[in-house]
Amino acid sequence: MWSNRVSRSRRTKTGVFALSIALAASTALAGSAVAQDEKTIYVSVVGNPQMEDIAQLTPELFTADTGINVEYTILEEQTLREIVTRDVGAGGEQFDVVMIGMFEAPQFGRNGWLADLNEFAADDADYAVDDLIPAVRDGLTFDGSLYAAPFYAESSFVMYRQDLLDEAGLTMPAAPTWDELAEVARAMDSDDIAGICLRGKPGWGDLGAAFTTVLNTYGGTWWLAGEDDTIGAAQIDQPEFKEALDFYVSLVNDAGEDDAANASFNECLNLYLEGEVAMWYDATVAASLLEANDSPVKGLNGYALAPTKVTDTSGWLWSWALAIPENAADKDAAWEYVSWATGPDYFAQAAEALDGGWARVPPGTRQSLYDTPEYQEAAAAFAQPTVDAMLAAPINNPGVDPRPGLPGVQFVGVPQFQDVGTRCTEEFSAAIAGNKSVDDALANCQLIASEVEGESW
Amino acid sequence: MTTNAEANGTVDPGAERAAAIKAFQRRDKWRRRLPLLPALLFIIVVTQVPFLFNIWFSLLDWKIVPPRGPDFVGLENFIEGYSNQFFLNAVTISVVMTTSAVLLSLLVGTGLALLLDRQFFGRGIARTLLITPFLIMPVVAGLVWKNNMFSSNFGVLNALLEAIGLDSVAFVERWPMWSIVVVLVWQWSPFMMLIVLAGLAGQPTDILEAARVDRASSRGIFTQITLPLLRPYLELGIVLGAIYLLQVFDQIEVMTGGGPGSTNVPYFVYQRSIGGGWDFGQASAYAIIVVIASIIIATFALRVLSSLFQRDEAV
Repeated sequence: MWSNRVSRSRRTKTGVFALSIALAASTALAGSAVAQDEKTIYVSVVGNPQMEDIAQLTPELFTADTGINVEYTILEEQTLREIVTRDVGAGGEQFDVVMIGMFEAPQFGRNGWLADLNEFAADDADYAVDDLIPAVRDGLTFDGSLYAAPFYAESSFVMYRQDLLDEAGLTMPAAPTWDELAEVARAMDSDDIAGICLRGKPGWGDLGAAFTTVLNTYGGTWWLAGEDDTIGAAQIDQPEFKEALDFYVSLVNDAGEDDAANASFNECLNLYLEGEVAMWYDATVAASLLEANDSPVKGLNGYALAPTKVTDTSGWLWSWALAIPENAADKDAAWEYVSWATGPDYFAQAAEALDGGWARVPPGTRQSLYDTPEYQEAAAAFAQPTVDAMLAAPINNPGVDPRPGLPGVQFVGVPQFQDVGTRCTEEFSAAIAGNKSVDDALANCQLIASEVEGESW
Repeated sequence: MTTNAEANGTVDPGAERAAAIKAFQRRDKWRRRLPLLPALLFIIVVTQVPFLFNIWFSLLDWKIVPPRGPDFVGLENFIEGYSNQFFLNAVTISVVMTTSAVLLSLLVGTGLALLLDRQFFGRGIARTLLITPFLIMPVVAGLVWKNNMFSSNFGVLNALLEAIGLDSVAFVERWPMWSIVVVLVWQWSPFMMLIVLAGLAGQPTDILEAARVDRASSRGIFTQITLPLLRPYLELGIVLGAIYLLQVFDQIEVMTGGGPGSTNVPYFVYQRSIGGGWDFGQASAYAIIVVIASIIIATFALRVLSSLFQRDEAV
């Protein structure tokens, strides 16, 4: 499992950090005789496949060209968030470049923790900042300043094994409702194969992301918007919330994967690639891995929009993006790296170097990628569904009631959501595992969410 | 010293000499202490100064997400923390997890020690192998158990269950705390075994021999002689085990990452502070509550230790 390689241990992290320092020191010593101006920058990224690709390609494609060494710290999503928030927010100064998402970028930018990348991009003609897809760029911008450069961007949709559904004589609508999807999932579920893979691992960005899109379209929400930019009353005790969680938990229990309470993106990706699940509701970026040249399920898949209930659309909008902390030591070297990693030329370089080819390059960030004939051919199966899903994402109006904070679909754009979402999803995950009832989980979550009522964001 | 001499109007050479010796001794004492001072200062700086900071932080309302404070709020954090339901849950988990892990590993450890306390071929190797789990890093132990033993995809336990025709079970997800307890018992039984083994080796052979001559049964010897003699060692094992196991963090982090079924107090403090809560004031208050509880247990522990040494001296 991917998550095994990316251990969550604090000890391992410090170990990795110490090791990278040691490596950096030794390379600096070795290099000093050769090149006087050799630099090293420290970068932390999420351990998802496209990030592991770039970490592998960096020495050959970036360091050889610029002389800048890049030391990566590759972490699991939840751990990365803790470390990055600590580093950037409390002035840890461990990293020159950090990977953050649409939740953090505007908030951290608002707090003055990040460098404004527009200034760097303006001086860098090759970067083509106007080529970035507008919705993604907007999501990473606060008050006109771009605080993170998108590495890949995604919405959420349903991926399913067309061949298996055909065999079973089932069809999937192009824009299914959750009830239709659940029906297909339950029909497909058997001893050999799970009907659907859904996230069940605690974490606001794990279970929290997938579940919140369900919650939105069921008409529920976490909090109402309070007056004067405050958080209003917690809504976990409302019937819509219970209905959404009941639906999610029972669907996972009836037709979900084994060990669901421990599964998130990477675990589901593995199960799907191994043919152990028939459907999967998750990030659109997964399609680029399912259709890559080295994928065992290449060409066997169909794609449908994120399922709905009472709203018209429900897909999320997310981007993993690279940001430069305000306290980074060498921002110019950091920008040089960011500009390469998220620039328009990386796609062709990566496509040539990767076994997965064009389909596996990081999607969703630049219009020019979708205009590239090679990409159109390699990604024929999912390029259009990805763009459709991203355009459909209800970024400004995700649910039924207005909610507090900055825009966001699968999260509430208030800093408090990080903590509340994670603690509540621990409760929900316990309900998925069968350790407690949905009602108990909801009651505890209401307590947790009430703690921040009335706080400003 | 001078008062005597002045009163008598004469200078007593003996008193002067004594004073000089005293002064020399005092200087000498300090000369001896001097090389220790850096270490002492170091210990004060790395242990006591952070604790003072911790006490100060616990009196503040201070968050970094969203940025707020620091503002002085007095004992509010303690009052809130004391009644927080999730803190109380964590306390319950800590108590149940520590008690069960200590008692079970003591039971297993004693059993292993009794088996090892006899002559047989390969005893040294067996003892070394039995100690190994204690030498494995907690993080590694947690990961190995989670993925190679408990996992429903790759786990040995589930492979066995499936081999005899049963459904696989997601152990860690279904019973998060007991899965962790199993790993703790696996790791800490060797520690208990070593302590009990030392106790068994210290048994006076003449009493055992006398009992055998008097035709006492094996069971009788065990319950009426061995066990009472082992008592201080068992107590020591319980106390030391409790102190260490109260602080368990690594296994929880790698196996479950917290959650209502497995968040103990140290993990809870971590979550409230740098683990996502970013509430430094509140977390510091929790940490201090834990320190006070630990001091109470440690005092108890030291008392047991000293009684053990007194007994040794008496023998």
